[in-house]
Amino acid sequence: MAAATTPDALSALMSRVATGERAALRQLYEATSAKLFAVCLRILSDREEAEDVLQEVYVTIWRRADRFDAGRASVMTWVSTIARNRSIDRLRARGPLAYADQVEELEIPDGQVGAEALLEAKGERGRLNNCLSELDDRTAKVIRTAFFEGVTYEALARRMDTPLGTVKSWVRRGLAKLKGCLER
Amino acid sequence: MSEAPDLSEAEAFAAEHALGVLSAAERRAAELRMAQEPDFAALVEAWRERLAPMADQLAPVAPPYGVWAAVSKALPANDNTAGRALRFWRGATAASLSLAAAGVAAAIFVGARPPAVVQPPQPGQLLDASLVSQSGAPVPLFVAAYDPVRKALIVTSLVTANTDPAHVHELWVIPSDGKPRPLGIIKPGTTQAMPMPEKYLPSLAEGSALAVSLEPPGGSPKVDAPTGPITAVGKLAKI
Repeated sequence: MAAATTPDALSALMSRVATGERAALRQLYEATSAKLFAVCLRILSDREEAEDVLQEVYVTIWRRADRFDAGRASVMTWVSTIARNRSIDRLRARGPLAYADQVEELEIPDGQVGAEALLEAKGERGRLNNCLSELDDRTAKVIRTAFFEGVTYEALARRMDTPLGTVKSWVRRGLAKLKGCLER
Repeated sequence: MSEAPDLSEAEAFAAEHALGVLSAAERRAAELRMAQEPDFAALVEAWRERLAPMADQLAPVAPPYGVWAAVSKALPANDNTAGRALRFWRGATAASLSLAAAGVAAAIFVGARPPAVVQPPQPGQLLDASLVSQSGAPVPLFVAAYDPVRKALIVTSLVTANTDPAHVHELWVIPSDGKPRPLGIIKPGTTQAMPMPEKYLPSLAEGSALAVSLEPPGGSPKVDAPTGPITAVGKLAKI
């Protein structure tokens, strides 16, 4: 893993990628690909497809690097968003009910990992986890599932055997509370 | 937890898009809205930042070496050169420089760079481009594919029809010389095959930029330059 993992170092790398420097993309890949591969793998749960999407993700990063605006997003958020969007688009191509049945081994981390993260205290991850843990368990779980697996409301509703409108209002209420908590 | 006020409808939709629960059609609608409404795009971006720390919980998984090899192979040569020339050209247009001066300046600007490793146009090469918005997050507004057999550009507009009857969308190709050539008017919300004049075929090469400008009905009063703002830009790449 390359040393260039601090936000400033990643930002500097991005501006070199934007000028068309391949070596910089290589370094960015070394610094971020394991993270992004985990994101793709979790959403697609198919190694081959995840590898395919990961490749597209870095080609997209290369093409769009000149749009990256350090004032608006962190490099990690920007590249993770590309990885999530590409993976979710690929998942949607399988239909709205993809993974309506939960894949057992893909059970998302819940309280336990959250508790570990709480120990890290402070920091953005700590704050978000604190706020997630303030939600009721069911809401926190449905938000985590949606984020990690990129499944539709429809698939979530099917999985939980709950009307779609109900799931939607849980998520919306949960997100509103999350925002309120993060702004405290 | 104390009761939080409900999110506005726009923000709830933005948050749902950032979270990733929307259906394929809703995702497209959200992306279009981001392209058209900077405020909405800012809401989505703020939610992406809020939720991003969750991804830290995923244990990293090193991808196999083959992935980098494939990325490296797929990188278009000097892909960003055309983009820089284009930005320069747009800046020059905005500053109301004369077109001739802009053209010459862009040519010099390109010329001052190391020789571009742009592949020569290959007959029989299918090319495609996704034209993304120039404000807010990059969202595709038009997609185009060049079919060398029909010598036509197949263009799909993802823009909702009848939203702005006072303007038309004019398509331009900007090859490596930085000079725009007009390709025709794109009707919102449709797919159309636009036959390409023989003289523009060499411009339809890998690495050339396609751009859409907002023009008065009938198209740009100038034959060799857009007069309105550029709404979307993309580069032609091999399929």
